[in-house]
Amino acid sequence: MSELSQSTSSSNKPFPLASKPFAPDDEAALREALKRCSPSTFEAAVQFRKTGNADHMPAVVIGVIERFVEPDLRAKLKDADDDLRLIEDLGIDSLTMMEIVILVEDVLQLTINNDELRNLRTVGDVKTFIDCKIRGLPLPRPTKFLPIEHIGAVMPVQPPFLFLNEASVSSTGANGKYKITGQEFFLQGHFKDNPVMPASIMLEALGQLAVLFLLEGAPAEPGKAIGANTIYFTGCEGVRAHRMCKPGDILTLSIKPKRMKMPLATFEGAIRVGQEKAVIAEDITLTFAYVESAVAPPAVNGAALPVSDSDNSANPPLRVAFNA
Amino acid sequence: MPRVFITGLGFVTSIGNDAATVAGNLRAQRHGFELYPPFQKPDIPCKVVGTIKGFFTDSVDPEDWTWPAAYEIKRETIRSMAPHGLFAHCAFLQAIADARLGEADISNSDTGLFAASGGSPMLTYYHHDRMLKLGPARCSPLGIVASIVGTLNFNLVAAFRIQGASSGFSSACASSAHAMAYAFEEISLGRQSRMFVVGGEDGNRDAILPFAGMRTLSLQTDPDIASRPFDAARDGFVGTGGGVVVVLESEAEVARRGVAPYCELLGWGQASDGYNVAISHPDGTGSRMAMENAFASTRTRPEDVDYVNAHATSTLIGDVSEARALKSVFGEKGVRPAISSTKALTGHGLSLAGAMEVGFCALVMREGFIPGSAHISRLDPACEGLNIVSATLPGRPRVVLKNSSGFGGANVALIMKTA
Repeated sequence: MSELSQSTSSSNKPFPLASKPFAPDDEAALREALKRCSPSTFEAAVQFRKTGNADHMPAVVIGVIERFVEPDLRAKLKDADDDLRLIEDLGIDSLTMMEIVILVEDVLQLTINNDELRNLRTVGDVKTFIDCKIRGLPLPRPTKFLPIEHIGAVMPVQPPFLFLNEASVSSTGANGKYKITGQEFFLQGHFKDNPVMPASIMLEALGQLAVLFLLEGAPAEPGKAIGANTIYFTGCEGVRAHRMCKPGDILTLSIKPKRMKMPLATFEGAIRVGQEKAVIAEDITLTFAYVESAVAPPAVNGAALPVSDSDNSANPPLRVAFNA
Repeated sequence: MPRVFITGLGFVTSIGNDAATVAGNLRAQRHGFELYPPFQKPDIPCKVVGTIKGFFTDSVDPEDWTWPAAYEIKRETIRSMAPHGLFAHCAFLQAIADARLGEADISNSDTGLFAASGGSPMLTYYHHDRMLKLGPARCSPLGIVASIVGTLNFNLVAAFRIQGASSGFSSACASSAHAMAYAFEEISLGRQSRMFVVGGEDGNRDAILPFAGMRTLSLQTDPDIASRPFDAARDGFVGTGGGVVVVLESEAEVARRGVAPYCELLGWGQASDGYNVAISHPDGTGSRMAMENAFASTRTRPEDVDYVNAHATSTLIGDVSEARALKSVFGEKGVRPAISSTKALTGHGLSLAGAMEVGFCALVMREGFIPGSAHISRLDPACEGLNIVSATLPGRPRVVLKNSSGFGGANVALIMKTA
């Protein structure tokens, strides 16, 4: 059991333990520890211990998680979807999480604190967590699940032009859902007697999810926060619509940041309906600015205040409504 | 005060893993002993154990264990168990099927569970040693839950979502008799309408061998004679393990559900020797008082008893203490109920014994026979005057007395009657 030293900031440098030779005894111990995991998990673990290359880490982590998941739920892990929720989708409780961590510690030769485990909600969270541990990086903020009340409290966009019912935001991106109700005002004219969700509005929805990411997910700078009223759309590239979306469809939206350097943030985005592609956007670019803020992030219970205070006049009516 | 009935039984024992097999072996006096492989080493003086068949639990990793395919148990459930937790879980599944209980009957505020076991020495040692060598962070988070006394109630209450009373009892070999007694009280006092009583022990090397250090285990190498309570040549007990579940229900529940009970549990009594931590009082004073208290509280008399299932473990001192107690209770009245110890067939289940043997009593009361005290070639002279029957007797015993005694001189006597 060895402590992790914060010796590397580059993601390409091998893990420090590579310098300790991986002996046959170690391989035997590893085989025993992973005896109930798939052979590919064992192979990945051996490679990791020999080379220190963190690219093998995800296979090891997924393999260990799989070993502790009930057989009839393991199929869900096959797609290795980072948004798979540990509790709701895989039936992993906090005790099982401890079992997973103990095995991961043993196999990857790490030490992990219990406090840090509490925020792991998805498979992606676990991978990111282990990855940061290996590279000696600070841990990212946990994935937050945001219901409509929270979204409404923080977003500069409001109904009837808000196209997010719920969202989850992590440091690596955001996912959201929106159900086309059929009551949307623009559907009356688009088209007459044939309501179709405009592609431009679907692009807008992705942009809104990106705004939410900037406000809730982007890594925080000390004493500074992104101002909700400083965010504007500036451009997009490579936008394609593949499917007509109609009332009743539930849009599954996702965005991932590609580049972020003030004043611009560029994202890639996608919308699916079920398994089908609806919209792809290679680049969506927004401008943003920081404002001074010592305020903590909003609470999740609806009685929330937006982080940015730069322009009070635009928001008071909403704040009053939520604080009432 | 509500009357209490036994309505369901579940057995994982050295003489069978279901009621039918157990009854058949009791009647035919087929024992469950064999030369226990881990004991066949030169430095281990005792050789015979009442083994559990059909299960493999000789590993500190529950994921290595095997059990009869009929029982479906998830990893999540088994990871926090001791070996005897597995036995008891399977016995519980049998008992609820036997009593025809549905989920709603099991998981409600009027149904509780009392359990008794000595914990798992095997797992205690393994987890403790691991902690000292590797540090606490590398230990299974469920090590404690699987090891300590109480592991039975922790696991069963969680697994079966018990919402009523729950607790464990520790009076060594009287433990599950105490559990039975206090479960009776829960119903009799109107606090619960149904109680599960569970006994369990690992019955493996770590659980049994320490008794060799106490010089109380038989050193016989012949499984056919090693366990012989009341025999003049007995030389100690033979260990066993397993899991037994007895379902107790109130009269109202029996009527509501329309089930036919095995028998009625009339009541009980207890008393202590106050004599020595491990040696029973030579005259069995605590045992005698326990029996007399049982008669008083159930308003029965020694002359009502048809059959006594003795505690008698096949130890030199214990069997005599009980014989003297029985003589003073029954001899004075000039009555001679049939007496036997079924430990001659099963071995001594330690904390499990009380519940297991109550289970046997209920079984024979339904099946209609009195199990004999097996393996007696020559009765110990101290038993002169007692009607210790060596062979099975036909005929249904109507009132049965069960004795149980433990370290420190705890004694419990339970009285059952055909329903």
